[in-house]
Amino acid sequence: MKKILFSLILAVLCAAIVDAQVRQVTGSVKDEKGAAVPLATIKIKGSQTSVLADDNGNFKISAAANATLQITATGFAPIEVVASSTSLSISLKQQIEEIDNIVVTAQGIRKKSKEIGYSYAKVSTEELMVGRAPRLTQALAGKVSGLAIYTVNNSVDPAVKVILRGYRSLTGNNEALVVIDGMQTTSTVLATINPNDVETVTILKGGQAATLYGSAGVNGALVITTKQGAKGKIKTTYSHATNYEEINFMPKFQNKYGSGSQYYEYNYGDPLYSNDYKVRMKANWRSYENQQYGDPYDGSLRIAGRVLEDGSKLVIPYADVPNVRRDTYDRGISSNNQVSFSGGDDNGTYYLSVENQKINGIVPGDWSDRTGVRANATKKFGKLSTGYNVSYNQIAYDRTSADFQNDVINTASWVDLKNMRNWRTDPFANPNGYYNDYYNNPFFNKDISRSRYKDANLQGNFDLEYKLTPWMSLYNRLGIMNNSRTGKNTTEKFTYSDWAKNSAYIPDPWTSYDDYPGIYRAISNVLGSVNDFSSTENVLNNEFQARINKDLGVVQNKLTLGYSVYQRYTKSISVASSSIVVPDVYNISNRQGILSGSESNTTERKYGIYGDYNVSLKNMDWLSLNLTGRYDATSRFYKPTRATNQYSYLYYGAALSAILTDAIPQLKSNVLSYAKLRASYNKNGNDNIPLYGLDLSYANGANFPYGSNVGLTVGNTLPDANLKPEFVTAIEAGGEFAFLDNRINLDLSWYKQNSIGQVLTVKIPNTTGFSNLLINVGEVSNWGYEGDLKIQAVRSKNFKFDVNMRYSYNDNKVINLYPGITEFQYGGYSYANTNVILGQRFPQLKTNGYYYATDGSGMRRVNATTGYPVQNPTLTPRGSTLARHMAGFGSSLTYKDLRFTFNFEYRGGGVMYADLGRQMTFTGSGKWTENRDPQIFPNSYYLDASGKEVPNTTVQVREPEYALWVNNYRLISENFVCPNWFIKLRDVNLSYDLPASIIKKTKFFSNVSIAAFGRNLFTIVDKANFYTDPEFSYTSGNGIGISNTGQTPPVRQYGINLNFVLQ
Amino acid sequence: MKHIYIAMFSVLVGTTGCKKEFLNVNTNPNSLPSATPGYVLANALNVSAASMVGPNELGSFWGGQWTQSNGYILATTIFQYNFTNNDFNYWDGTYDNLYDYQYIIDNAKDAGQDFARGPAKIMQAFNFQKLVDLYGNIPYSEALKGVSKLAPKFDDQKAVYESLITLLDDGIKDVKANAIPSAFSASDIIFKGNGTNWVKFANSLKLRILMRQSRVSGRDSYITTELNKIISEGSGFITGVDVGANPGYTAAAGQINPFYDSYGYSETGARRANNNWPRITDFVISTLKATGDTVRMKRIAYAIGNEDGANPGVSLKAEVNTNYVGVKFGANSGYLPGNSSAPGPSVLTKGQFSKPYIIMTAAEIQFNLAEAKQRYGASVNLTGTAKSYYDEGIKQSYRILGASSADVSRLTTSGVDNVDFDASTNKLNAIAYQKWLCFINFNGLEAWSEYRKSGIPATPQSINYVGGASIRPLRLYYPGTELGSNGDNVKAQGTIDPLATRIFWDID
Repeated sequence: MKKILFSLILAVLCAAIVDAQVRQVTGSVKDEKGAAVPLATIKIKGSQTSVLADDNGNFKISAAANATLQITATGFAPIEVVASSTSLSISLKQQIEEIDNIVVTAQGIRKKSKEIGYSYAKVSTEELMVGRAPRLTQALAGKVSGLAIYTVNNSVDPAVKVILRGYRSLTGNNEALVVIDGMQTTSTVLATINPNDVETVTILKGGQAATLYGSAGVNGALVITTKQGAKGKIKTTYSHATNYEEINFMPKFQNKYGSGSQYYEYNYGDPLYSNDYKVRMKANWRSYENQQYGDPYDGSLRIAGRVLEDGSKLVIPYADVPNVRRDTYDRGISSNNQVSFSGGDDNGTYYLSVENQKINGIVPGDWSDRTGVRANATKKFGKLSTGYNVSYNQIAYDRTSADFQNDVINTASWVDLKNMRNWRTDPFANPNGYYNDYYNNPFFNKDISRSRYKDANLQGNFDLEYKLTPWMSLYNRLGIMNNSRTGKNTTEKFTYSDWAKNSAYIPDPWTSYDDYPGIYRAISNVLGSVNDFSSTENVLNNEFQARINKDLGVVQNKLTLGYSVYQRYTKSISVASSSIVVPDVYNISNRQGILSGSESNTTERKYGIYGDYNVSLKNMDWLSLNLTGRYDATSRFYKPTRATNQYSYLYYGAALSAILTDAIPQLKSNVLSYAKLRASYNKNGNDNIPLYGLDLSYANGANFPYGSNVGLTVGNTLPDANLKPEFVTAIEAGGEFAFLDNRINLDLSWYKQNSIGQVLTVKIPNTTGFSNLLINVGEVSNWGYEGDLKIQAVRSKNFKFDVNMRYSYNDNKVINLYPGITEFQYGGYSYANTNVILGQRFPQLKTNGYYYATDGSGMRRVNATTGYPVQNPTLTPRGSTLARHMAGFGSSLTYKDLRFTFNFEYRGGGVMYADLGRQMTFTGSGKWTENRDPQIFPNSYYLDASGKEVPNTTVQVREPEYALWVNNYRLISENFVCPNWFIKLRDVNLSYDLPASIIKKTKFFSNVSIAAFGRNLFTIVDKANFYTDPEFSYTSGNGIGISNTGQTPPVRQYGINLNFVLQ
Repeated sequence: MKHIYIAMFSVLVGTTGCKKEFLNVNTNPNSLPSATPGYVLANALNVSAASMVGPNELGSFWGGQWTQSNGYILATTIFQYNFTNNDFNYWDGTYDNLYDYQYIIDNAKDAGQDFARGPAKIMQAFNFQKLVDLYGNIPYSEALKGVSKLAPKFDDQKAVYESLITLLDDGIKDVKANAIPSAFSASDIIFKGNGTNWVKFANSLKLRILMRQSRVSGRDSYITTELNKIISEGSGFITGVDVGANPGYTAAAGQINPFYDSYGYSETGARRANNNWPRITDFVISTLKATGDTVRMKRIAYAIGNEDGANPGVSLKAEVNTNYVGVKFGANSGYLPGNSSAPGPSVLTKGQFSKPYIIMTAAEIQFNLAEAKQRYGASVNLTGTAKSYYDEGIKQSYRILGASSADVSRLTTSGVDNVDFDASTNKLNAIAYQKWLCFINFNGLEAWSEYRKSGIPATPQSINYVGGASIRPLRLYYPGTELGSNGDNVKAQGTIDPLATRIFWDID
């Protein structure tokens, strides 16, 4: 598209300078069958002159008789024709351009796509930049089938989980490997790399490619190639983006009731107990309560909190302030500025970019700032080619470590929280005067608890390639990476006034029988704290390869032999003090008491030998076979006393691809233009064991040493003596098809992966003296299918319309666990947690719930006396938390210089648990707690004296105004389980290239474009999901699917991007 | 030229070879590869003490001594008894602790630290009794054996109780044979290396284990025989002092007395959020008032308004009887923290963060002796009378509470039933009541156990319990963790109903 636009601009420019010696040439462009080829570009070789053919393939161009015309058109092989005649008939040959390109596969091995016998996907820089996402992961979300990107927490430093084709490992790492310019890195890079520096991302979904990356690649790989610059004049690009971020949706709030809790003086059964819920509700109202179980809003003037020391009091209408919680958050704003230079000549290329990105988040005061540079270059010296890619960036973060969302939902909606920001100056916002007895002002909490840290990331690789003979070259790549983080977590000191502690009172007429002076919360001064930490990670990765390309007779051989060395070293240290002496001085020397601290060091090393062999026959080059193998040795399983086969392992794979349309040319028709079938099998080893997992550890006992008194404890995870690496076998089959002159492309794949002998931390009874056993057990099966459909729906001179769709299905099953063990828990809460259960899909959500009627009517048991729902304490499976179905739908429409692109993503087929629901039932802020009138618990039954199930039409709940919700409904976790599906408008972009006629006048720019973009502009979730984004999770570990208040509310983002290319 | 390049490549490749040494970096630099039994003992003793906080809190509630203030929403697990096998897991941590003792028992000899074995055995007995009292049948003979017994079977609770006596005998033998060297006296955070005290503690523990079974029919001869063995051993019991652990509590995060840390203040004196959580029950306060026992009451509880932060150990409000307000057990409204009495100066005084954590009180031992003498009379060779042990128990209770000892005789001669031994109509009930009373704030688990054993005193039911009138939880469920990993053996224990399934010594 871009090329065409450029051509257009050039054509316009050149039209003005007509050479007198040339003559008018007319022509028509047709395909092999004689059909008109619309919109071909006709360029005069060696000049800037070019024109575009019309929809019927006809063109006119001024050219000299000896001029050579270069004709190019999408989907056809370019040809050159001498303009010897003034009337030309040009015939173009179709070419599978989209498919027959070069793919950078594992270990930097370049392959033609037809040689690849497994599934991969390629995402280009244009596709990535559609939503101007600040991070690469966000830009990839929804664009590749089988790739699930979970933004598990939202903030100025979002936590992301990248999963390809589901889970393979029960307790080990399931995240895809990230490779940047050939170097194995960690997911850290995804947060730090400038998305605009990325040329392509190739997603190697299956195990075949990963065989070559060793253990790290067992979960698939994201192979990122950065921009290298291209031959030609220097191209300078400047771009700016301003991005706004606002809350997409909040949990559903009730807006009828204000502050109150269970204050009614008499307990049920007391002779003075009132049976009128309104009487009790009225008595439950308190001016200082965080829970929202008071009487209904009536607009009367009431005091919030207590009388301040100066006698002032906050008397406000007892009425809902609309949208108060949403307005408590900011609208985030961020800006991104970057400049890049690229160019090159016959012997080298050059790319340099500088970027700054500043983000202000939705939590007031949270920000991050990223500045980075990248320098890439290549240079040829005869037979030697050298190159390097280096990036360095610094990112600073300043975030609150307070649970802002939880503090917000603990604020009743009649208090106008958004005006409570200035707690240092506003006496009603200050902790000494803030109304809430139990939860401090959210703004105070978020201001005093800060986490500030700085990352510095240096990453680069240095390539040498020497052409030993025409058919063999030696290649070496040394990759190094150094990531460091230094930071401080601090809490500001705050001392309450004596008035707040002992004297603040509630005046008439709002006073109650049990009021006592002093703010309950003020009993504890905030002593301040400081925790200073730093961590560093050094990675070194050297790959040496011999690349051989030699045909023996009719046998075409391509062989890569490699030797890989990998070393990773980490160190982290923290020191902390739980109090500070002089306010605002955050240095551990400014403290009372002793220092606490910790240290952790790790080193791991691996080496491997590998080979990749591609073979095809000259007369049968529609068929190609790829064999791979790798032998690894890893320090994770090494001990001097262990046998070689316990720490080293061999694995291998084979892939076959066949171009059916080449093998049987008759298959080609007007409908089918290309068909390829592929199949692969491979077995991958995985050293999936926690570092130093072979050792039983003896650590310091909790809180030891006490002074000089030493205390040690025996570790709780017992390693099995025979631990060895685990293996994953995968089979995959698929096909690629093109229809209607390549206007429709379809890619289908099916896969099945089995991982056997997983290194698993198995829960064993604590009565053995240990809680866990680390052992090779278990088998997991993981399978699914994927389909990608790309349609070039309309191609006309001014209008283009592309549609793409994708769908993937993934399922897994726990086939085998340790004998006697049928399930174990990942984590979560005692009442709702994620589990691995034998014979089921994992992770599996289990919660407590209702006792349902045995007749299958769905009626829920209530207590025959109180009418309250009865909790069935048995944790029952509610479904898997991993999305089973993923679908994407995207389109791009181009009309002249205007382009509109969008992408939707759907994910679903699982369940989620939102602890926010439980929390909002506790506070009474949840919409679902709105019915506080006398009621029979809906759809319920009770057990009569004989144990018979009786539909409940008579027993009303005892205290609908409070106890129903807080003491009963809240504790039934099944209430907060809902389907996890969502539809998101992932990104949308409307861009406009300024007309060339205007650009030309500037004599400065060669291209100027302006774009409006948006991300996650809207999200649709299940109607039972009152809570939050189903992607959110309290953990980024395997046990995802449980969210809580620790995640910032979901956001939408939108903004404007300006892009200038200098002449 | 070509050779130079090849040489260059070989430098890049050759710097690291496929040698074994290259991989030899797999020794954990973050923790020790083995442990000295003496140091393991120090931590194990500390964990045994600190892990009593949880069961003691629960026991204080279900023993009718504490309840919650209404500054918190109702803990339905505690006050409506709708807890599950995921609540109150005191099992996993205790077995973890027991294994540390097992490590000492198994490795002390090889490490040349035989001295650590005796205390380890005694503390195993201490912890196993706690488990039986909470769970009934438990893995004992097959427990703590690592991979060789991955699914330990459960032993009968009565048999475990009997084995504990044997284990304590072994422990006493080991202690007597191996003095604790002065270099490790600091690791003995309970008795600072005093072996005689370990033997006295073991004897006191045997007394507790035996007397817990005193109401089980047919056990009298076993109990008296074992009691007489203790007496003939000759070291006697812990007297006049309480058994407490102190690893060297100091003003640092996590290094202060765990009770003080949980319900009192931080190491820097900031009030803990849970300072307002436990409240003395209305039953305790009104009973103490009714029996004229207000001197002890004012040490057990603070007046309403709690401690005066500026005047540690003293109530904010006047310490007059009317300012002591107990909370009705299980009440969920009507008693805000500021209007009810919190645990008092005897256990929580601001700044006193380094007192030992009490694991057994001297008063309890005296009441056990009183009960033994009262029940078995001449069958046990105890020299004192039941009354002398009883009065000494009250005296020790005054001592630990920090109440004026001058008041003891007023109380013991007050003529009040269950207070004055001579005036008490049922001596065993008086002993049971006073024993229960001496546990308040110090040892809730024992209070609950004694309440389950004797039914004395008749504390009122939780206001929020919906159901049968008098039932209180009798035990805990086996935890979900054990059910998930040792399912067959757990299921073999039958259906557990915490409101109906009794521990063997709980006969009614």
